[in-house]
Amino acid sequence: MRLFEYEAKEVFRRYGIPVPESALIYAPEEAEGAAGKLGYPCVLKAQVLSGGRGKAGLVKVVSNPENTAPVAAGIFDSPAATVDALLVEQAVEPEGEMYLSITVDPLSARALVMASASGGVEIETLAAENPEKILRESFDISSGLLEYQARNIAYSLHLQGGAAKEMVKILMSLYGIFRDLDAELVEINPLFSLPEGTFVAGDAKLILDDNAAGRREGFPLRREYFESEIEYRAAKEGIPYLQFDGDISLMCAGAGLTTTVFDLVHYEGGTVANYLEFGGPNYTRATEAMELCLANPSKVILAVTFGTIARADVMARGLVEALDRLKPDRPIVTCIRGTNEEEAVKILSAAGLQPFFDTEEAVRKAVALAKGGEQ
Amino acid sequence: MSILLDRSTRVLIQGITGKEGTFWTRHMLDLGTRVVAGVTPGKEGESCQGVPVYHTVRRAAEHEAEASLLFVPPRYTKDAVFEALDAGIRTIVTVADGIPLHDALQIRKAALSCGAHIIGGNTSGVISPGKAMMGFFPYWIERVYKTGRLGVMTRSGSLTNEITALAVRAGFGVSTLVGVGGDPVPGCRFSEMLPLYQDDPETEGVLIIGELGGTMEEEAAEALASGVFRKPLLAFVCGVYAPEGKRMGHAGAIVTGGRGTVNGKIRALEKAGALVATRPGMLPGLLNQALGEEKTT
Repeated sequence: MRLFEYEAKEVFRRYGIPVPESALIYAPEEAEGAAGKLGYPCVLKAQVLSGGRGKAGLVKVVSNPENTAPVAAGIFDSPAATVDALLVEQAVEPEGEMYLSITVDPLSARALVMASASGGVEIETLAAENPEKILRESFDISSGLLEYQARNIAYSLHLQGGAAKEMVKILMSLYGIFRDLDAELVEINPLFSLPEGTFVAGDAKLILDDNAAGRREGFPLRREYFESEIEYRAAKEGIPYLQFDGDISLMCAGAGLTTTVFDLVHYEGGTVANYLEFGGPNYTRATEAMELCLANPSKVILAVTFGTIARADVMARGLVEALDRLKPDRPIVTCIRGTNEEEAVKILSAAGLQPFFDTEEAVRKAVALAKGGEQ
Repeated sequence: MSILLDRSTRVLIQGITGKEGTFWTRHMLDLGTRVVAGVTPGKEGESCQGVPVYHTVRRAAEHEAEASLLFVPPRYTKDAVFEALDAGIRTIVTVADGIPLHDALQIRKAALSCGAHIIGGNTSGVISPGKAMMGFFPYWIERVYKTGRLGVMTRSGSLTNEITALAVRAGFGVSTLVGVGGDPVPGCRFSEMLPLYQDDPETEGVLIIGELGGTMEEEAAEALASGVFRKPLLAFVCGVYAPEGKRMGHAGAIVTGGRGTVNGKIRALEKAGALVATRPGMLPGLLNQALGEEKTT
């Protein structure tokens, strides 16, 4: 789960990482009052979870009261994203922009601190174009980040005196956030360096591990984290779901198999309306899964499974029940295999469905139905 | 022969008396797995499917288990893995889906420092068809699992059934299938299994079932290119059309320095000499091309 910038900055503040003075607003009319209190110039930043906000025109500087409300309105109404809130921040005049992050390196099974004196660009871009400008310091998660490692980074960044000490403090705070909140990634980009040897976090990115939600305080799922109502509903149901804008609703089981079906639909010239997995712990929840699919304007629902614990007969019966209850307005293509698959075939046939046994055939059928529907 | 697990392997089951543990212990025994003991704290003295149960792994020591299968919820998995390691067990399979990432790092680190094979999490486990299994596979469906000479390594569950069914239809059974699992930091990686398959005389070639994200497929390609693995290597990789920025498939890639795209994986594998399928229907042809004379069914 990725947090909004303002939420991540609240966490930063709690851990002693300096952030600009700011206010959160929910309407253009609030902008002028907020900016007035903070003092001009201010930065208006759309609170959205997509990257590249600057390029999309979702971050703007205002320098006087006259243009504040119109600029805010422009961001709220931007076609680039759904914007519910703006963070109004005191503008910072930095001496330099740095990059700091802590994440996980799966190969070495260690956590990894990355730092660069060339912040402000995306780390992927920096890694591709100037990899030598990225400092790396890895640590064993059992012993944690040690202060000497933070000092290694601070002095490799050519910081001196108070600035180096300040950097060590910020790195140790970042590490505290990373561990305490079970983060996948905590990133400051840019970290503004100021002439007096201090720093301010210009942006804040914090991605928390969903698997650790049970042992972490706070951060419940909220509608604002999701682009659409359907995605929010799916997340609350614990059903993996991704929204697309094509014709075929995937209602499949298993991450790998659903991804394979997604590929096959495209190979066959079709398009996907939504990606949905109802396998694993959700295999008895065909009705909830189908409801999510039907909330899309798709033309066909394609159900492909090959389960072991997620028994084929249970999934077939669930599908037939869902059909009875929801009476979908579009065709369903089924390819349900695995444990008790013979029984599944009988159940589907008895309900008037054609049970496919070969995934590629089922996909071709779904694509043909979707295309036929256009004529 | 097979790798990691055969008829003679002495298997312990942690969490044996739970619903899944009890159910799958029966299947494992039916397939021929040598399950010697089970562990559930508080239930020592009971027996489950005829297997004696102990409070702790240490108290089950007299059974000299060589491998342990964990039917333990994700949040207790780290504890259970360390308990098994502490008792000297060096092959551990953990099927839990949802192990916290920071725990997974510690588990992986422990595997590396003890020289243990920790398989999973988020996996169906390990099966040597016709011999033994640790985990849950529909081995009784003949069109899906047959004994043979193809080694299989996978990150998926349902997709694995799909692919092994195609292999069986094309005439190829499986020596040992290892589900390394769908987590971003698995306990063992494809490249670490390849030397075991290389040394197994019954394995004639290996099929990888991979997907977008991470670098395990690239590492396997390196093992082939460097000669660590010298048998035919095949791969099915899904996610060619997965759009950037969406978390499709399993937990997917964390920062890997630009690696992890499906096209990068395909290029790396093909350059190393592996045969790569991007749709399931391509596999029978590739299997015949690589291992045509090794048909076993």
